[in-house]
Amino acid sequence: MKASYNWLKDYCKHNLSLKELLEGLTNVGLVVDNSSPIDNDFCLDIEVTSNRPDCLGMIGIAREIATFIRGELIVPDVDYGTISESVNDITSVIIEDEELCPRYTAQIIKDVNIGQSPEWLQKRISAIGLRPVNNIVDITNYVLMECGQPLHAFDFDKLEGKKIIVRRAVKGETMVAIDGTKSTLSPDELVIADAKRPVAIAGIMGGKDTEVSETTKNILLESAFFNPGTVRRSSRKLGIQSDSSFRFERRVDPECVGWASRRAAKMIQDIAGGQIAEGIIDKNCLKKEKTNITLRIPRLNSLLGIHIEKDIAKDILERLQFKMISETETSLEVSVPSFRGDVYREIDLIEEVIRIQGYDNIPTKGNIGIKPIQENKFDLIVEKVKNIISGLGFSEVVTDSIVGNSQNQYDSIWSDNSNIKIMNPIRQDEDLLRKTLIHNLLKVKKHNQNYGMEKIQIYELSKVYLPSKNDNMPEEKECLCILGEDGFLSLKGTIEAILSHLNVAHRLEITPYRSDLFSPEKSAELKLEGNILGYIGELSSDAIKYHDFRSTPCITELNFNLLVDMANLESSFQKIPLFPTMERDLAIVSDEKVTWSDINKCIESLNIDYLDNIEFFDVYRGKQVEKGKKSIAFRLIFRADDRTLKSEEVDALQEKILGNLKNTLGVRLRT
Amino acid sequence: MQERLNELQNQAKNDLAKANSRDEVELVKTKYLGRKGVISEIIKSIPSLPSEQRATIGKLANKLKQEISKEIEAAKKQCEASLTLPSLGAKSTGKVFDVSLPGERKSYGRKHPIAQTIDEIKGFFGKLGFDVEYGPEVESEYYNFDALNVPPDHPSREDFDTFYLDNKLLLRSQTSTVQIRVMEKKKPPIRMIAPGKVFRPDTVDARHASMFHQVEGLMVDEGVSFSDLKFTLTTFCEAYFGQDIKMRFRPSFFPFTEPSAEADISCSICKGEGCNVCSYSGWVEVLGAGMVDPNVFEAVNYDADKYTGFAFGIGVERLTMLRYGIDDIRLFFENDMRFLSQF
Repeated sequence: MKASYNWLKDYCKHNLSLKELLEGLTNVGLVVDNSSPIDNDFCLDIEVTSNRPDCLGMIGIAREIATFIRGELIVPDVDYGTISESVNDITSVIIEDEELCPRYTAQIIKDVNIGQSPEWLQKRISAIGLRPVNNIVDITNYVLMECGQPLHAFDFDKLEGKKIIVRRAVKGETMVAIDGTKSTLSPDELVIADAKRPVAIAGIMGGKDTEVSETTKNILLESAFFNPGTVRRSSRKLGIQSDSSFRFERRVDPECVGWASRRAAKMIQDIAGGQIAEGIIDKNCLKKEKTNITLRIPRLNSLLGIHIEKDIAKDILERLQFKMISETETSLEVSVPSFRGDVYREIDLIEEVIRIQGYDNIPTKGNIGIKPIQENKFDLIVEKVKNIISGLGFSEVVTDSIVGNSQNQYDSIWSDNSNIKIMNPIRQDEDLLRKTLIHNLLKVKKHNQNYGMEKIQIYELSKVYLPSKNDNMPEEKECLCILGEDGFLSLKGTIEAILSHLNVAHRLEITPYRSDLFSPEKSAELKLEGNILGYIGELSSDAIKYHDFRSTPCITELNFNLLVDMANLESSFQKIPLFPTMERDLAIVSDEKVTWSDINKCIESLNIDYLDNIEFFDVYRGKQVEKGKKSIAFRLIFRADDRTLKSEEVDALQEKILGNLKNTLGVRLRT
Repeated sequence: MQERLNELQNQAKNDLAKANSRDEVELVKTKYLGRKGVISEIIKSIPSLPSEQRATIGKLANKLKQEISKEIEAAKKQCEASLTLPSLGAKSTGKVFDVSLPGERKSYGRKHPIAQTIDEIKGFFGKLGFDVEYGPEVESEYYNFDALNVPPDHPSREDFDTFYLDNKLLLRSQTSTVQIRVMEKKKPPIRMIAPGKVFRPDTVDARHASMFHQVEGLMVDEGVSFSDLKFTLTTFCEAYFGQDIKMRFRPSFFPFTEPSAEADISCSICKGEGCNVCSYSGWVEVLGAGMVDPNVFEAVNYDADKYTGFAFGIGVERLTMLRYGIDDIRLFFENDMRFLSQF
């Protein structure tokens, strides 16, 4: 809402400097976004919250000023003389839909002289950014800005049948508005029509055919109350917004409708001459609802944590034009003025009182006592995981949950259903909720590569959104996605470090996995106790080519919720072994198809109590090993809790292990 | 006898000069001042001296004793000061080593600045007993609007203010949704914060992103007042921005709080003088807050006469931008390593 510093003084004589005025307005909830000097005046851009349509006019703002400076609000008088001819003999108004138009008033002013507005009027409306048109249009705009009630003046002689019908539009009806936009209407729209056609879209804009022009002699002046929802929907649908629709959408003061009409008529008579027909057509089916509310002073004080005397509260409410109905020692009963539709409960009155009394006057000392907080396993694990990944050299990234549809050349590993779609995206090519974080991380890598950072180690811990098969809410899966540059085994080691840090008791089960995204050899599915933990893989050469990467990133995406479930935060202390270990280093030769996992399982199946650990060294292929075979070197570590093992015992165990490996996997000791 | 004493003093000085370590000084000390040391022997021999000499020699011997112990203490200190190892025989290999070469770089990652800010907020409110709660990002109109007392015609429901999905679902436009979800499950007293992502179809520019982060806060109990709200949020802002900021609460409007407030802090860039960051007002907005609207309590079946509460919403990106002077919100989601490595 734009307001003029000088103009406001018409309604409230104050001696505030601009700075004091802005501060005062801000303190009662009217923030001034900026103020710019214009032609010996200042234009204030005031942010009016959606609950305060009463402040969408100068008088409303002046009312607030008068309240906080304890000054008087001056409202212009609207007395004027009329000719004897009655408005009812000249025209008529029919409202077909009273729900959408509960109140409509019309006045007739004859023989006006159309011309430029006087300089003072042009200056006034120019100061708040309106373009002067002609005296009639300028006056309707002036009154709109003055009291917040939109008005419209029709060229009466152009109204077919000399009457007004307020009705829903007929499907396919068209109208060209004053600004030149042609709209095709439907019964969702309320129109002001004459006997033949729509002449205005109710509350939004008048029609070009019947606008006031240089040749206009007689005027029909409209002032009405239109249903806020209807105006909002039509305005959005037709793409037409105006100062008028802005106010109707937020609900105008039903009791100001008639005043505004008289105010404009008087100004027209004063400025453009003309004769006002006697009377005013006022079709009004708005119920006069007087809201009475009781304010309990103790409640006011306990809710705010302040001490305000009843008389102060009373004074503030009266200055805001609430009327005292009754009063007890500790309470006030007031009736709410018609322009304050936002006030209907005690709490709303409490806000009114403290708004004027000033939030600054509420003491800032508090005593909220102490309360222990609940343990939050999820947060604890997030913290642990982020700490260890950061320590291992990965930086956290945060990327957009909304992704483009071109990104999904690789489908998500979590769901085959198509992505959840946004119906009203900002950009048509970015309208999906992600099902994986992988593409976002690749995008981040690409960005950094473009700026010369060839290798980056990053992770994101965030949600992916998986459509549910039925109509339920989608599944929001918390995923941990890590991108590394040191190859498959390094990233696998990172995952193992996380599992170990979380005391996950179950062994990571890993099996080869095929996807277009990953290299066919270096990719795998990860499981914990049969549940899919996630996937890991180095990017396939095609994917590297597609993204134009200059290194080979390895990516894993893990189901973080499973990690949370499997994590064990109640680790207990284990005694440090008293007796030394015995170690045996072995190198065996096996077929290529035998995996490390096979070897492990084969050894473990023997359930040897004293076998403490198996440590992998390396795999060798080359001269000393025949083709199609490989040599695997590892260490067996034996230990007993109660004594030092004897060399012969360990030798026997080693033989047993080798024997089993030979029989089940066909391996032999490398010599 | 007197000559002998002078000689001893010189001897002791020589011995001390040769002593290179504490241990060696200790040996000198024993030799001269020990129970069976040279000086003790002399003092013991005094009774056997002619009576006329006894007093003088006694005085001189004591004086010598004091002087030698002084010198021994000085020698000890010197040894400590120059505790070098030559006595252990460290020998140079003859190879030259440049200790000023840069250390081998150990790489470590960092948390995203947004996550760091959320951690700080959690840390602060955790001390005041606020639990951390989470809620879904895909929401229904009920949780995002209806239960929060947003009227059916409110502009925030328009599709240029909220992302809509199929099936009457939407992407939450505020973390206030979590208030409702928590109050549906729990009875007062409640103290919680809810950090998370929110979405709005704003055209992306330096100040707007279509996805950003908020931390919602809620406290409900008997007797919770606006004064408690001011105390809690002022203390928070002082903890986050520093004790020297000024704070201002001014009336505003949110459907789910009444009375509602927006809180400003004095502009840290211009110290309240006025600059383009604060639009020359000297103040910058940091959060929205208010007393929980009775209609919200009604939606979750709380007795609005018995319980009162306050709620607040903090924009995480905004807070972080103000703290560090970051001028473009898009930097957070671009994830340029040159940006991330600064936090």
